[in-house]
Parts: sequence; C-alpha cells; structure tokens
Amino acid sequence: MKRKVLSIVMAGIMILGLGACGSSSSTTSTSSAAASTAQSTSSASAASSASAADTSAAESTASSSTSIPAVDPNTNGAEEITLWHYFDSSADAKAIVEKCNEYNKLQSKVHITPTYVSRTELMNQYTIGAVSGELPDIGMVDSPDMESYISLGVFEDVTDELGSWDELSNFYAGPLSSCKDASGKLYGLPQNSNCLCLAVNMDLLNKAGITDVPKSMDDFKKAVEATTDSANSVFGYAMCAISTEEGTFQLLPWIVATHDGTKSSLSDLTNANCDPGLDMLGSFVKNGNMSSECVNWTQADAYNQFCAGKAALAEVGTWHMATMSKDVNGTFNYKICLLPTGDSGTSSSTIGGENFGICTGCKDKAACVEFLKWFMSADQEAKWAVLAGKLPVRSDAKPEYTYEQDAFATFQDEMNYALARGPHAQWPTISEQLYTAAQKVLLQGTSASDALAAAWTVISPILQESPLPQQ
Amino acid sequence: MNKFQYLFHTRSGRKNFWCCVLSVVIAVIFLFPLYWMLQISFKSDMETFGKVLTYFPHQFTIDPWLANLKDKDFIASLKNSFINGFLTMFITLVFGIPAAYGMGRYKPKGFKAFLLVFLVSQMLPASLMLTPMYLTFSKIHLLGTYFAPTIAIAAGSIPFAVITLRPYFKSVPVSLDEAARIDGCGVAKSFFLVMVPAVKTGIVTIVVISFLNGWNDLMFSMTFNVKPEMRPLTANIHKFQSKYGTKWNCIMAYGAILVLPVVIMFIFLQKYIVGGLTAGAVKE
Amino acid sequence: MKTQIRSRKDRECYPFILPAFIYLLVVVGYPIVYNFVLSFKNTNVKNLASGSSVFIGFQNYKELFTDPTFLLILRNTFIFTIACLAFQFTIGFLFALFFYKKFTFAGPIRGMILVSYMIPMSVTGLLGQNIFLNTGLINDLLSRIGITGPEWLTQTSTALIGVIIMNNWVGIPFNMLLLISGLSNVPQEVYESSSIDGATKVQQFFQITLPLMKDAIFAVLMLGFIYTFRAFDLMYIMTAGGPLNSTDVLATYSYTLSFTQYQFSKGSAVAVVLFLCLLIVGLFYLRLIVKGEEDT
Repeated sequence: MKRKVLSIVMAGIMILGLGACGSSSSTTSTSSAAASTAQSTSSASAASSASAADTSAAESTASSSTSIPAVDPNTNGAEEITLWHYFDSSADAKAIVEKCNEYNKLQSKVHITPTYVSRTELMNQYTIGAVSGELPDIGMVDSPDMESYISLGVFEDVTDELGSWDELSNFYAGPLSSCKDASGKLYGLPQNSNCLCLAVNMDLLNKAGITDVPKSMDDFKKAVEATTDSANSVFGYAMCAISTEEGTFQLLPWIVATHDGTKSSLSDLTNANCDPGLDMLGSFVKNGNMSSECVNWTQADAYNQFCAGKAALAEVGTWHMATMSKDVNGTFNYKICLLPTGDSGTSSSTIGGENFGICTGCKDKAACVEFLKWFMSADQEAKWAVLAGKLPVRSDAKPEYTYEQDAFATFQDEMNYALARGPHAQWPTISEQLYTAAQKVLLQGTSASDALAAAWTVISPILQESPLPQQ
Repeated sequence: MNKFQYLFHTRSGRKNFWCCVLSVVIAVIFLFPLYWMLQISFKSDMETFGKVLTYFPHQFTIDPWLANLKDKDFIASLKNSFINGFLTMFITLVFGIPAAYGMGRYKPKGFKAFLLVFLVSQMLPASLMLTPMYLTFSKIHLLGTYFAPTIAIAAGSIPFAVITLRPYFKSVPVSLDEAARIDGCGVAKSFFLVMVPAVKTGIVTIVVISFLNGWNDLMFSMTFNVKPEMRPLTANIHKFQSKYGTKWNCIMAYGAILVLPVVIMFIFLQKYIVGGLTAGAVKE
Repeated sequence: MKTQIRSRKDRECYPFILPAFIYLLVVVGYPIVYNFVLSFKNTNVKNLASGSSVFIGFQNYKELFTDPTFLLILRNTFIFTIACLAFQFTIGFLFALFFYKKFTFAGPIRGMILVSYMIPMSVTGLLGQNIFLNTGLINDLLSRIGITGPEWLTQTSTALIGVIIMNNWVGIPFNMLLLISGLSNVPQEVYESSSIDGATKVQQFFQITLPLMKDAIFAVLMLGFIYTFRAFDLMYIMTAGGPLNSTDVLATYSYTLSFTQYQFSKGSAVAVVLFLCLLIVGLFYLRLIVKGEEDT
C-alpha cells in the first residue's frame, strides 16, 4: 500500500516537473508550441484564407462551416498586439480570426493576436484589470457596458488619434455615442450593430387561422394565444427574461413602447404606457402561453425553442440570421417582422452591438488605432455584416447579404425604432432594476405599475444625478 | 456448503444479501443523475427538444461529443486539467502533511493561532479573493503560469488536509514513534518512516480530494490564465453555455467529458482508495 | 506523562507547521485584509479610476442591514447551510456506518457513490438545471406517481429546495468518505471487549463510536459548515441566484455587487459579513478542540 501511495505521489511529481518546465520558460516554450500548432494546421488556415479571398463563396458558406481557422504565427518579429473578443458563434468566431490574419498579411509593423475569452470572463478580466492594470491592447465590449468600463479606467482616451478622422461622420450616432464618455471623449469604435425583431413560425400561425404576421400588440397577443398548444407542448411565445443584461435587452422594447399615440421612455417609468407590455407578458406566463423558464433562458435558449418548433413566436436578434435556416432545417416556414410592441404600425426594439476599445496601458496606441480604422472601414464593415450576420455601424457600408435578405432588411428597418441603452456609467444598476421588475411581473403576478414603481425608486436618483441622453 | 446455500440459508448470508440489495438501491439513486447526463449526451437535437421525455436515446448519435472534442484546444485543456490536479495535490501534500503532523502530535506555543489561521483561510470562497490574489500574482509574475491557479487552489486544500489529518496523527499511539526514537531515528526520519505510513488512510483521502480540487477548479484557472493553451477543461463552461444555450445534449457531453477522465482514473485506483479507507491506520 | 514529553520537544514541530502557516498568510491573508479595508471605503464605478474614494466607516454595513434584499440573502444563506448540513451529515453518517459493514458489495459501491463528489460543482449545477426543468426528470418521475411537480427553478418558493437537493447529492458522499475514514480509526479491540461485556449495537454506537470519533465529527461538521456557508459555484451555474434573489447567498451576492454592479466596497462588506459569520463558528470549533484536548 505504501508503495502504491508513493507511486501516485511520484506520478504527481513527474507531472509537476513537466508543468514546471512548461511554465518557467513560459514565453519561449508556449510561443514555440503555438508556432508548432500553427504549422501543423497551416494547410487548414491556408485553405480558409484562400476561401476568404473568394468572398462570395466564403460568405454563402459562412453559416454552414464550423471550423475556426488557426491564428497565423508571428514570423517576422512584428510587434505583438493582443486582442480579446467574445465572438463565439461559428460564423463570427471564424471571421475574427480571418480578419486578423488578413490584416497581419497586409502590413508587417504589428501582429494582431486574437484571443477568445467568454463574455462573462471578459467582464471579470476588465473589472480586475481596472484594479491591477493587466489588460490586453485591444478589447471588445458589449456596447451598454462600455460606459462603465470607461469610468473604471479600462479604456484609454483616443480622441487625439481618432477625433480628426474624417470618416467618423459616416458612423451612426447611436453606436458611436456608446464609445464616448459624458464629456464627449472617444475611447474606441463600434464594430457591429444589431437589434431585436420577432420571428414567426408561419406554419403554426396559419394552422391557428391567422394569415399575416402581427402588426400591433393586440394582434400579437391574439397570435400568441391562438398558437399556444399545450397538448403538444408548444408555447405561443418565447423570449429571454434572464437576470442579466441579456434579459434587459429583450425586455426593454416591451417597456418603452407606443400606446395610444404616446411613446414612453426610460426617463419616467411611472408613465402608464410602460405597463401594458409587461402586464401582457405576465399574463402569458400565468395562462401558459409562455414558459416561466424564460427567466432562466438566455437569448440562445429562446432561439433554440423557436428553431425546435416549441415556440410559435420568439424575440430574436440580427446575429441569429446567420444560422437560422440551418437550425430550422426546413421543418417549418418562418418570417421575421418588426416587434409589435404597441399601436398598430409602431414598433420598438433595443440596439445591441459590440465596440472595440484601446485598453489602458496599450503598447502602441497609434498602431491599434490604425488597425481599428481598417477593421471598421466601410469595406470591412460591409463584409463583416455578411460574414457574421450583423448590421454595419456606418451608413456608407453597404453589405450584400447572400442569405436572408428580407430578414436583414427588416432588421435594418427596425434600427429606426431601436433604443440605445445609455450610455450611462451606472447602466448595470439600472438594468438590474429593470429585469428585477419584469421578473416580479412574470413570476409573482405583481402588476407592472407596482413593479416599475419599485424600480423607479432606485433608478430615479441615479438619473437625477446624471440623466440618460435624449434619443 | 455451496455459495447459493450460503447466500440464502445462513443468517449471515441473508444479512449479507439484504445489505447488498440495499447498497444497490443506494447506488442506483446516486448514480442515476450521472446516467441521465450520459444518456442525454447521446441524443440528437430533435430528441433533446422532443415532446416526450425519454430515458434512453432513441436516436443514438455521438455528434454532441464530437462538438466538444473537435474544439481545437481540447487536448491541451485535458493536459492542463491533469497538471492542475497533480500540482495542487503535490503542493497540498508537501505543506499539509507536515503541518497536520505538527498540529496533531505537539501542543506548541501559538497552537490556537495556528489552528485559527488554518480555519480562517478557508472562509472566503474563491470568487471573493480573485481580485486581491490577482494583484499578488501579478506582482510576483506568476500570472499565466500553472502555479498561479494551483497555489490559490492549494491554499484551500492545505487547511483541509491539516484539519482532517490532525485527528489521525493524534490517534497514532505515542509508543510507535517513541520506539522509533529509541531505535535512533531523528524527528524527520521518524516522521517519514513511522508517522506518514501510519496515517496512510487519511493521506489517501487527501490525495483524492486535493487532486479533485485542482481538477474541478473553475474560478482561479479561468481568471489567472487567459491564454487558451493554458486553460483546463472546466474553463470552457461559459464558452459552451453561451454557445449551446439549452442544447442539453451538447452541454451534457461537455459534463461527461469533464467527469469521465476522473471516473476512469478512480475506477483504476479504486482498489487503493477503498483499500486505504478500510485498512485502518493502526494495526498493532 | 505524555504531555511532559511533548512540551519538552515542542520546538521540534515548528519546521513542520511554519511553511504551511506562512504559505497561507501570504496567499490568503492579503485577500482577507483587502476585503476588510475596502469594505470601509466607498469605492465604486465612479471613483475607482480617479482613486478619490474615501473611508466612510460603517456606512456600507448600515446600508446592508437595512436593505431587504440583503436580509433575504442572509436568510437564504442560513437556510441553505442548515438544511444541507442536517441532511448530509445524518445521511452521510448512516451511509458510513452501513458501508463500513463487511458485505460483498460494500467496497465497490462505496467507491461508486463517491463519483457524485468527484463531479465539478459547475457540472453539478448544469445537471441540476436539467433535472429540475419544468418538464425535467424530477417532475416526470413525480407525475408517474400522480404528483404534479412544481416549477422548481422558476418559483421563488421552490428554487432553493432544488439547489439544496443538488448540494446534498454531493455532500452526502463527502461526509460519508470522511466519516468512514474516522470509523476506520476506531480500534476494533474496543468493540470486541464491549461486546463481551454485553453491550448492544446501539449502546456501542453511543458509548464507543461517537465519543471516539468526536474529533473526526467536529472536523466534518466544521468543514461542512464552512464549505456550505460559502457555497458559490452551484448557485452561480444552476440558478445565477435567481429567480428574484431566491437562491442568492452571501457569496454570490458579494460577487454580483463587485463584478456586475461595480459597487466594490459594498461587495467587500458582504464578503466580510460572510467571513465574520464563519469566524464565529470557527472560534467555537477552536474552543471545543482545545477544551477537548485539555480533558484527555
């Protein structure tokens, strides 16, 4: 027995030795390991960059191909620039690596190395980085979070480098404003935009005797109730109401909507027009038209429910278009329409999107700015939108979608009614109040007016101190 | 008397039989969630979202497993998980066993203070020590090495080792090491040759648990190592959660992949672990 | 006599204890002090970068103890801990006694049920999420015996129960493992002599097993309390503290405050409350240990 315990310990020591060797000379050994993996997969990456050159072919297969190419090794000793991102869908995870490889071939001064860090972790890394100062050179961030990170000092002021860029005027005001602080200083550039629309399972809708997609909240309510089929465990509606920013993103359109000709806003949650949408969602859960599990669902979950035919209608994002036809797989016909959140012919939605900022302590600010200018050029923006199923952030980028053209046109139209979250340094607290209020309505049967009034007692003082920008 | 007769016709045989039945029932209850995980991981997407809950895959597929195994960092992650496990175990044994011995056999000045520190150091969960530990490791340039997460994890399992091993050392008869001392052994020699073998039951427990602490860690490895080639299997959880949503077949395959190497290893080592647990530390 | 021999040689023990002691002071001491200091300041998203945060005394604590959300979370933490400890220790002890018996399957099955302890908490959380779905395994089994199960994880009244059940699935084998180790250290000779004296099994258990296992039991309960009270991973993955904070505990709440609300000082104050609760229990344990050792 003694010998056996000893042998386990010995095995541990041996592995430790391996680990220690690996880490004590970490810079050399890991970079050579990275180089060797890159070499072994060089044929694959060559193939993928070849297909990237043939853009139309690459774009049409973007949604079906799943393999992520390897990052090209830094062979000519260019300055290493680290870029952290959380693109994880098959389309955009592939696109980011291809774009970095493309830029590294284009010039020899810097070498951009993209690293995937999941969104949750990335937020942690920024928060800890704000204290310790260990940050990447370029970082991706969800647009409503950017203001907090600017305030925490995660991103560096690049007004001097970027402020005079003449193409800046081509960017849409909403996304660009999320990269600025309250005094108008610029900390990065928006990279893509998206918003929310309604996905409709036309087969189920027709079966329920409705021929057209809903145009008003009343239509919508009827459609949801008519398509609910508990015997076959089909819910009328699916959305994400989880207690994170994702939940707020999907709930917001139902709070800020147009009823009886008046549009409510976040600047006054006690307005009675904030209530009907939430009250309706509450009645959905109560009457079995929507699963109470929506409070635990992420947006991917709600989307999966729709694609599996378990929800007749669902709130979906622009990025879902890249994979929707593959995931539905011909099992039913679907249409994308504006979110019918209020009066007939009106709509409301939320703007989402990712920004790229230059992090504090960046090695080479000028070079990073150059990369961002290239990455967010009109040409690249248009290509990215098609590759990853997003909307461009600038008006002069004209993406030529090779799939789901109608849906993208609808999303582009929906952007006109979409609300930006913030920018506000305390958006996370506002957001928490919003999803908490909604969950009270969904789970505890609280009336929307009571739930929002409770939220307002916290939000109101925050907005009094620094109000949300007008939009 | 043949085996059958023994099983049913003697009092101890019947007792043995009913004990076995009961233990099987317990095992089924405890292992069922694990079976549940496995069977979902072999279901097709269609069946996962199906109307009827099925208890075994009707459309058997290994696609969910492939979705996880095809990840380009999979092999590296597997290796990293083992490194994390063994390194944590090693650090824990090196620091924990001697401390447990010192605390169990002696009553030094400051005994209370020592014991308090061993207890107190376990009182904050990993998630609440991330920032300050990050600051420390950043200062001593340990970030991005295997040592950063394992030193942090071991800080949790060393006190565990001290607290659980201490009673073992206490229960070893004084006569045992006195005899060794009379034979001319020094403190160190009697520790290694007499005391450590005498508490091997407890040490096996520590080996198991400290390895698992390292293998199962999520927060420390994720935060202290951002490079994909340094991350263990557990760190993929957020990646797969946001990517798969409720694609339970893929999530469960991920879970099974995380659990399986450990289970296989422990089936292989079970003889020693269970043996160690029943042997009894002191047989005079 | 024994103690005299020991005290003479007491200095021998420092080389054994000090390395671990210093290790912990360096690695864990700083984080604890860090949290303490931060909890008395007003550091948040607005003043972290400028470094203009100031000491505000007990303000954060005052705010916490008048905040209904925090009081709910404090309550959740205690319910969770006590429920988990009660079940996992009792059932774990029964299992330990049962599997310590010598029968054919004792060894293999004892090893098998340890598997649930080997699973990372994060995976346990995922598994819990799945089997407690509205139309998941648990409700399916319940419906087979004619019971309509609740919507476990989406109701504030049942979510914590689901989390407690999952934690016990892990905690019972853990307690069993430690208690079997403890049982195996009770010398068989004691039982043999007592059975000659005519003591029944139950008498043996209370008069011999329990007293001889006192230290091991204290250790198990103590560790169980610490690990349960500071639980994080399970809720973080299984319910993320929801719905409506019904499964939020001190650890998850502190984390949320610091990492998603950027209220760093308030997050630290919650961490300190968590720490102090455990410290009180720790001191109690220390007294028992020291007193117990003076008695022998």
